[in-house]
Amino acid sequence: MRLLLINHIQNAYQSLRGSRIRSALTMLGVTIGVASVTAILSLSGGASQLVGKQIDDLGGNLAIVRPGSNNNDPIASITQTQSYHDFATSSLSESDMTYIKKVPHVSAVAPLMILSSNIKADSVAPKESRVVATTPDLAKISDLQLRVGQFLDNKLKNDTVVVGYQLAINTFGSDAPLGRLLTIHGQQFTVVGVIKITNTPINYNSVDFDNAAIISFEAGKKLNKNTPQIQQINIKADSIENLESTIKGIKSSLATSHNGESDYTVLSGDQISQPSSQLFYTIAGVSTAIAAISLVVGGIGIMNIMLVTVAERTREIGIRKALGADNFDISWQFLIESLGISITGGFFGYIIGYVFAFIISKFMSLTFYPVINWQIALIATVISIVMGTIFGLYPAIRAARKDPIESLQQYN
Amino acid sequence: MPNISTTPVIRLRGLKKRFGIGDAENYAINDINLTIDKGEFVAIMGPSGCGKTTLLNILGLLDRSVDGEYELNGQSVDTISKRKQARIRSREIGFVFQSFNLIPRLTVIENVALPLIYNGIGKIKRLQIASDILKNFHLNEREYYMPHQLSGGQTQRVAIARALVNEPSIILADEPTGNLDSRASHVIMQELADLHKRGNTIIMVTHNPRLTTYAGRVITMIDGQIDTDTRIRATVKHPKTRQIKKRSKSHDKKRGKK
Repeated sequence: MRLLLINHIQNAYQSLRGSRIRSALTMLGVTIGVASVTAILSLSGGASQLVGKQIDDLGGNLAIVRPGSNNNDPIASITQTQSYHDFATSSLSESDMTYIKKVPHVSAVAPLMILSSNIKADSVAPKESRVVATTPDLAKISDLQLRVGQFLDNKLKNDTVVVGYQLAINTFGSDAPLGRLLTIHGQQFTVVGVIKITNTPINYNSVDFDNAAIISFEAGKKLNKNTPQIQQINIKADSIENLESTIKGIKSSLATSHNGESDYTVLSGDQISQPSSQLFYTIAGVSTAIAAISLVVGGIGIMNIMLVTVAERTREIGIRKALGADNFDISWQFLIESLGISITGGFFGYIIGYVFAFIISKFMSLTFYPVINWQIALIATVISIVMGTIFGLYPAIRAARKDPIESLQQYN
Repeated sequence: MPNISTTPVIRLRGLKKRFGIGDAENYAINDINLTIDKGEFVAIMGPSGCGKTTLLNILGLLDRSVDGEYELNGQSVDTISKRKQARIRSREIGFVFQSFNLIPRLTVIENVALPLIYNGIGKIKRLQIASDILKNFHLNEREYYMPHQLSGGQTQRVAIARALVNEPSIILADEPTGNLDSRASHVIMQELADLHKRGNTIIMVTHNPRLTTYAGRVITMIDGQIDTDTRIRATVKHPKTRQIKKRSKSHDKKRGKK
């Protein structure tokens, strides 16, 4: 049996080489399908790892509170990420912040109030620029480093602003516009600092700090007609060991302030990145399903070619049967051949998929790289094998069922 | 020289092969009783369409849908599973076809080694055996030729080599010389006669009455039935064909050097 398998593989190799162009074109179908699946999965994997990695980089002793009771539902997270910015009325209030500050082991608390106001100076900032109202603690929690100047601080007046690098370029045409005036929502703010390039447009704060103007929480409140709108509260514990007890403390104090209503969510560690990773996985799932169509097309190509091969080699089947091959041997011979097509095609598809993914991440200057892991390799392998088997089985069975006498008479 | 043994190699009792149904029903084989002993050289003659080839296919276990009884080496074929039948084809039976039936995309040596694959013999061993047998047929210089690069006679010799590679006890030849000129025909017949001398059972279907001189028993068929069954004490030595064989060998060498 083992020997036969080796022989079938050699035989398949010979026959695939015998009709090179045809085999290559059939493989191409598989290659395209597997390449698109690989590219999608590796890119989305890279994207979803991004936020998780940021949190790890910050030391992991981070907890955040978000309004709304359940963020773990991927569909909800798709809709909610949008509503953070624009529509939702937050269930988090200023008093929650004061409660949280009193919880033991909390070392820093920063609310995020994100406003979509007009920002302009020499020129108007692009639409995607955001105004973030927060406390000075944010720099400590989210590890924002300054390029020039200083971050917000309690001694400063309320009409000061720290701008992201890209925003500074967009509005002032300069990377160090210290002391100049920025108009937000009709009010003027003095620039006191510029943040170093973060290059993390996707992060757990849902704000691209390169494109943000950071003002004090009080100023933000004033811009919003004295109503605080807190989309998120970032909390840093004094150490990782104390994080768990801190979270417990936060939960219990919020439970009292919200009268037991759980219209907020306390997240830590992986949970923080979960909504965004799940968002990416959902997108990846949908795009993979679309890519699967190309897999089916490729598979039909395999079946088509295998049926042609079987028809062409009817006589060979007759000869082999006369010389002692049984139906099982014949069906294996053709099944191995279709597996040869699909696995070879899948192998090249895996490589091309990665090349493609790296080109995309380079060219579109994405902030993440495709992830290389065994799961994607396994998926590509399984897809190839399953395709070869499913679409090769019918031609193989057809070949095995051929009557030897009729087969031998073909082309006589 | 028929070898008297207790169980005949082939025993047919009331064998029938039917084609079509209803009004269109007719019998390609109609009630054949036949016993062939080990070591016989049987020539089956008859006009086209009399069922010679069908009979040969049935004997070779390629055609299974038959009525009547067929015992191969004392065992009823009906009781043998398909898989076992395939194994018997590979070990006990060697086929030689009129149209040679080499696989065109395989080399000569691979074609010869083909039956060994289904006996589970490893590649190196396979090629060794095939090479040895090709040497017997003076084809060792042609091992890595493709079938289309050979002459008709050479091709049929390769086909016979392939039929013999598993050392089968029965050789079924369906008009082995049908596509060959008379010179090549006699070379092939000489090979078959040699095999017969070594104790193989040979059943050959032919049109050519001259070839029956090699056989020890001539069966003529007509309309799916056996017409005559004659045993001849054949002299296998044909000085004339030997000369032809020598000549053809030197001819081959010349072609090889080209």
